[in-house]
Amino acid sequence: MVKSRNWLRRGAATTAMLAAGTAIAVSAGASSAKTVGSAASGRPAGKINVLVYGDAQNSAEQYAVAAYNKTPEGHKVKAVLSTIAGQYYQAKLQTIMSSSKAPDVFFNWGGGSIAQFQKAGLLLSLNSFFKSNPKLKSSFLPSILKAAAIGGQYYGIPMRGTQPVMLFYNKSLLSQDGVPVPKTWSQLVSDVSTLKSKGVQTPIALGGKSQWPTLMWFEYLYDRVAGPSLVTDALAGQKAVWNSAASKKALSDIAQLVNAGAFGQSKSWDSVNFGSEPSSADLVVNGVSAFELMGSWDYSTIQSDGSTATGTAPANGPGAAFVAAGKLGYTAFPSVPGGKGNLADLAGNTENYYSVLAKTRYPDAVADFLKVMYSSSFVKKELALGNLTTTKNTPSLISGATAPYLKWQYQLVNKAPAFQLSWDQAYPQTDSNSIHTAVANYFDNLNQSQYISAMQKLQPAS
Amino acid sequence: MTMLTEDRGLARSKSSGGVKVGRPSFLWSLPAVVYFALFALLPLGVVAWLSFTKWNGIGAPHWIGTANWKSIFQDPVMIKSFKITAILTVLGVVTQTPVSMLIGVWAAGYQKNRAILSALYFVPLLMSAAAIAIVWFSLLNPYFGLPHELHFVFGGSLFNHGYLFSSQPAAIGVLTFVGMWQWTPFHTLIYQGGARAIPEVLYQAAAIDGAGRYRQFFHITLPQLRNTMVTSIVLMVVGGLTTFDSILILTQGGPGTATTSTSYYMYVQGFSDFNFGPASVIAVLLVVVTTLVSIALVRATGWDKMRSTQEGL
Amino acid sequence: MSAARQRPNWAAGVLSTLWLLVVLAPVYVLLKAAFQTQAAYSAHGPLSAPSDLTLSNFSLVFHSGFLRFFLNTAVITVAVVVIVLVVVPPAAYAIVRNRSRTVSFVFRVFLLGLAVPISAVIVPTFYIMNKVNLYDTLPAVILPTAAFSVPLSTIILTGAMRDITTDLFEAMALDGASSWGTFRNLVLPLSRGGIATILVFSALNAWNGFLFPLILTQSTSSRVFTLGLFDFSSTSGIDAPAVCAAVVLSIIPILLVYLFARRWLIRGLMGVGGK
Repeated sequence: MVKSRNWLRRGAATTAMLAAGTAIAVSAGASSAKTVGSAASGRPAGKINVLVYGDAQNSAEQYAVAAYNKTPEGHKVKAVLSTIAGQYYQAKLQTIMSSSKAPDVFFNWGGGSIAQFQKAGLLLSLNSFFKSNPKLKSSFLPSILKAAAIGGQYYGIPMRGTQPVMLFYNKSLLSQDGVPVPKTWSQLVSDVSTLKSKGVQTPIALGGKSQWPTLMWFEYLYDRVAGPSLVTDALAGQKAVWNSAASKKALSDIAQLVNAGAFGQSKSWDSVNFGSEPSSADLVVNGVSAFELMGSWDYSTIQSDGSTATGTAPANGPGAAFVAAGKLGYTAFPSVPGGKGNLADLAGNTENYYSVLAKTRYPDAVADFLKVMYSSSFVKKELALGNLTTTKNTPSLISGATAPYLKWQYQLVNKAPAFQLSWDQAYPQTDSNSIHTAVANYFDNLNQSQYISAMQKLQPAS
Repeated sequence: MTMLTEDRGLARSKSSGGVKVGRPSFLWSLPAVVYFALFALLPLGVVAWLSFTKWNGIGAPHWIGTANWKSIFQDPVMIKSFKITAILTVLGVVTQTPVSMLIGVWAAGYQKNRAILSALYFVPLLMSAAAIAIVWFSLLNPYFGLPHELHFVFGGSLFNHGYLFSSQPAAIGVLTFVGMWQWTPFHTLIYQGGARAIPEVLYQAAAIDGAGRYRQFFHITLPQLRNTMVTSIVLMVVGGLTTFDSILILTQGGPGTATTSTSYYMYVQGFSDFNFGPASVIAVLLVVVTTLVSIALVRATGWDKMRSTQEGL
Repeated sequence: MSAARQRPNWAAGVLSTLWLLVVLAPVYVLLKAAFQTQAAYSAHGPLSAPSDLTLSNFSLVFHSGFLRFFLNTAVITVAVVVIVLVVVPPAAYAIVRNRSRTVSFVFRVFLLGLAVPISAVIVPTFYIMNKVNLYDTLPAVILPTAAFSVPLSTIILTGAMRDITTDLFEAMALDGASSWGTFRNLVLPLSRGGIATILVFSALNAWNGFLFPLILTQSTSSRVFTLGLFDFSSTSGIDAPAVCAAVVLSIIPILLVYLFARRWLIRGLMGVGGK
């Protein structure tokens, strides 16, 4: 008995001592390793690594890399594309940015998503690229370039398209049940109850398990009810706005829809993902749901739903057939009568950008790679995916199957008085999880004070 | 529990007259010790240091004293995660122990059919936790999986009308069930080995006394399996306290934070929110708790008694 | 065997058959879906009879880069096994035959090491691997994975070596054999079973490892199988049959090991519970 107690105690003591001893040894070892690392530059030779968000739209990025690799510059320094599955992209990016494996060129959302990297001196200012190749700047819309600029330095080249969030719908389901496309909030609520009465259990598809799709409902209702200024104030540090009457009105509007069973019964939305099974796109394509509030990229997500195609092959699944049959409808988010927001206001992502690592070994090769972003062949690839690129020549390049969708979107963006950047992009990355949890909890419990206090705990960057 | 009785070997060699020649020196164990210390114990030291720093993955950590330690205990998600972890662990032990013990004892018989069945039980053991979680996640798809196909089973409120990831009880049920599916074969084997080691003479004596199968089970098998149970339960508890893969793949801690266990919360804090300081605090707590629990369980169930049952036979 | 134990045990039989169904149902779905077209799978549901069989799911898996992931996992597995086989047998030998307090400390450290969960070290391991520029390389996964196999392997092998009787050691000593000679000519040959067990174990751990690769690798070139699977199931509107095909492929190598080394695997697992 005595003996057993002793060995436990001694064993624990030995373990602790070993741990402490080795800790000291390692901090010495680590600091010496650091100097070795910086001396050997650590950047790979003969290639530039391009890292993008892995989703249904990677075929355009694959095209861009292949197009660059065919040029004489590309023969000298190859571009290598890698992807990280969407929901883990932002997190993984931050873990590698200061490591030796940091990508030379990487996908991001501009603004808040790169602020920390810029602050840590990890990003290359693109102003010198613009000087040696003015077309890299003049080919894009200036307002879009500015959304990825910090303190007069440009850090991002647009690489996908502007992504307003809109209401997608299943045309055949709406016409079958005699439901009009909603222009106002009350119309949407009555559509939902009509659909419910006709046996549609989940009138609105929502990937609640992924959490960020839920946020889109908040972004639009806050805009429509309170106008764009509320979130601008919150981002400027005025936490009291979350407790205002307008904030509570937006929350109770959401509650009205949730309570009507718009997103399904028994919190079914929490069992649905965006982009992976069981996905919200599945529900729209298969006629389980009539509506989905989503960013403009949903066009290609729906198109590739259930598709077994990989790489650059065209989508061949039920989603492709759904889109080809003209069953996919889209409309702007409805107006809320009595609210301060404009019906034409948009929420979403301004653009996606490529930013460049300051330590890159081949800045010239990177500059050449970025030229592809405004080439008309690449722009056409993006347009074919339903992405509204932000090059100045975009309107003249719109053609083909996606033309009506893109023209409508172009008009929408062009006349929008306000464009609310997604909250999880506007706040620093360290808050993004808290925002997602807060909105997910609100949908689950409809507890206003819990939501308000969670939002008041956020730490805006400014 | 052979692993805990190293003194046996020493005692035996002492009695053998202490031949000194050909005995390996301490140096023989050095490579293993150094290696283990470098990659398993050193990180424990580093994590203790990181728990007093602020670090977001960019740049270097800087010392901020006990701030992380103070704030973590005021974090409601953290407090809730303790409860969720405890529930998951207890449910794991109470569901896996009876099934694996009964099947293990049954499979300990040398009959041919039992041998074939036990070979089949093994299948989950060959699959990685990730593969198991992915397969079950696909099977439990409320729209196109089992809940849809077997609506008469899953349609009730017990299974949250088939939306298993939408309510806390159902999601915890899924995690417990998948854990059971995954781990029962392993524990069955442990019990099978334990049951085979019970001396046949005990059963023969009991049979002569007229004891039936159930009396034999409760009076011989169960007491004799005591050390096996301790091992199995310690492994279940340590495994339960640190369940991660299945939560990441099946529920992502949701709905909301309803299945955010302590170790999953550590992952979220560290690798999603980049608060490596608080994540390190959680890691230190995890090590302390798992170590204490293992020691406490071994001792509370009579570690020294265990040795005597073994040596007495 | 006493007569009482030989009577059929109906209760246990029923229970074990029920549990067998629970175990095998998903295995059936997995195997069937892997060979089924996606359209048939979604139309008929998971439990339906096999129909519309195809091999295209497997070719899709291979076209998604899984060959590379397989190779990475194989490299990691072999390296982990080699490390374990190099450091563990001498340590177990010392623990069994050396009486000093130092060595019994070592054993106690390994015992406590069993209680250290992998998830507790992911943050510092990530930090260290970043510092030494190993992040996103296979060694970053190999080194800690092997380290976490050392305690259990040592304990299992120590158990196996204890079965070598003292008489044999004494006979070697009387012949004037050195430690090395005893180790090579007596200990290693007689603990082959234990060595096979720890080999299978550490291989299983490395092959199925998830957490270390998740935290310590990122690029496609260093991706392992489990992560490829995870990635595959969480990107795009991917189809269940393809995921099942990938899972089936991931089991095949382990299944082969299991068929060849079943005896050692089972003996090892039983050994965990003592004998």
